[in-house]
Amino acid sequence: MKLVLGLVIGMAFGAILQLGGASSYKKIMGSLLLKDLDVIKLILMSIAVGTVGIYALDLVDMANISIKPTYVVGITIAGLIFGVGFAVAGYCPGTCIVAAAEGKTDAVVTILGGLAGALIYALVYPAFKGLIEITNYGEVTFASAFGVNGIWVAIPFSAVLFLLMFKVLKDRY
Amino acid sequence: MQDQPVLSWKVAGLLLGLLLITATALVKPLGVSTQYVVTDAIVLHRAAPNATESNEYLSKYGERDDWGIGYGWMLVFGMFVGGGLSAFITKRFRQRENPSLPSMWREEFGSSSPRRMMHAFAGGALLLFGARLAGGCTSGHMISGISQLTIGSFIFGISIFASGIVTARLLYKRRLAL
Repeated sequence: MKLVLGLVIGMAFGAILQLGGASSYKKIMGSLLLKDLDVIKLILMSIAVGTVGIYALDLVDMANISIKPTYVVGITIAGLIFGVGFAVAGYCPGTCIVAAAEGKTDAVVTILGGLAGALIYALVYPAFKGLIEITNYGEVTFASAFGVNGIWVAIPFSAVLFLLMFKVLKDRY
Repeated sequence: MQDQPVLSWKVAGLLLGLLLITATALVKPLGVSTQYVVTDAIVLHRAAPNATESNEYLSKYGERDDWGIGYGWMLVFGMFVGGGLSAFITKRFRQRENPSLPSMWREEFGSSSPRRMMHAFAGGALLLFGARLAGGCTSGHMISGISQLTIGSFIFGISIFASGIVTARLLYKRRLAL
C-alpha cells in the first residue's frame, strides 16, 4: 500500500514539475542567470502554501514533520558544491528524473552522474563525517529556536513570500 | 516546438504546495536524493555484497536481505512515470532537435553532444555529492525543509543559489555580454 501511495504521489510530483516547466534546462538556467525567475517563483509559491498547510495540520497533530539537522559548516559547503552542479548540469536531482522522462538524453546522463556522485560520497563518507558533526545544532527550526508554535512563524513567513513573488519580483523578471 | 510550460508558476507552485501538504499528512515530506544512494545500494548489494555491507554509509540504507524498493524509491519512479505521461499528453515529449542538447546550450557552446554529456555527468555527480553531504536536495531541503522552517535548509538554499548564480554567469559569459 505504501508503495502504491509512493507511486501516486511521485506521479503527481513529476507531472507538476513537468507542466510547470521546472524540468526545462532553459528555465533552470534562466533562474540562475536571473533572466527568468519562473522556476524560483514556482518554488517560493510551493513553500508559501506548504509551510502554512504543514503547520496548520500540525496544530491538529496530523503532520508527519521530519526536520533535518542543521550543521552550518557542512551544509554551507554542501550547498556550494550542489550549486556548481546545478549550473553545470542545468538540472537538480529531481528535475533530471522528469527531464529524462521527457526524452532528454543529457538528463539521463545527469542521473548516471548522480548515481556516481552518491557512490563517491559513500566511499569518502568517513573523511567527511566530521563536517556533519561540527557546528551541528540538531533539528532546529525558526519556530523551535524562538520557542513558538510553527504556525506563528509560518503565517508571517508565507506573507513575506507572497509579497516577494507578487510585488518585489513581479515586474522585474 | 512547444517551448512554454503548460502551467504558470502560480498554478504549478500552488499544486506543488498542496502535494507537499498531502504527502506530509499521509507519509512524510517530499524528498528525492536519498534514492540515488538506495539505488546504488540495491545494485551494489548484488554485485559486491560484502563490500556494500561494510560501507558505513551505504549500510545505513539497508540491512542484509533488505536492500530494496520502498516508498521513497517508488516516489522517484513515479516522478519518471508522471513526468513522462504529462510530457506525452501535452505533446512535449522529445521536442528537441537533438535529444541531448538544450537549444540554449547549443547557442553558447555549439552542437557537440559529447561536451554536453560531460557537463551533464559531472554536474550530476556534484549535485548528488552535495545533496548527500547536506542530507537533501532541492525537494528535501529547499521545498520540504524550508516549508518546515528548518534553519539548515535556509542555509542550504542560500549557498545553492550563491554558487549556482556565479557558476551560471561564468558558463554563459558570452550570452550575458550580448
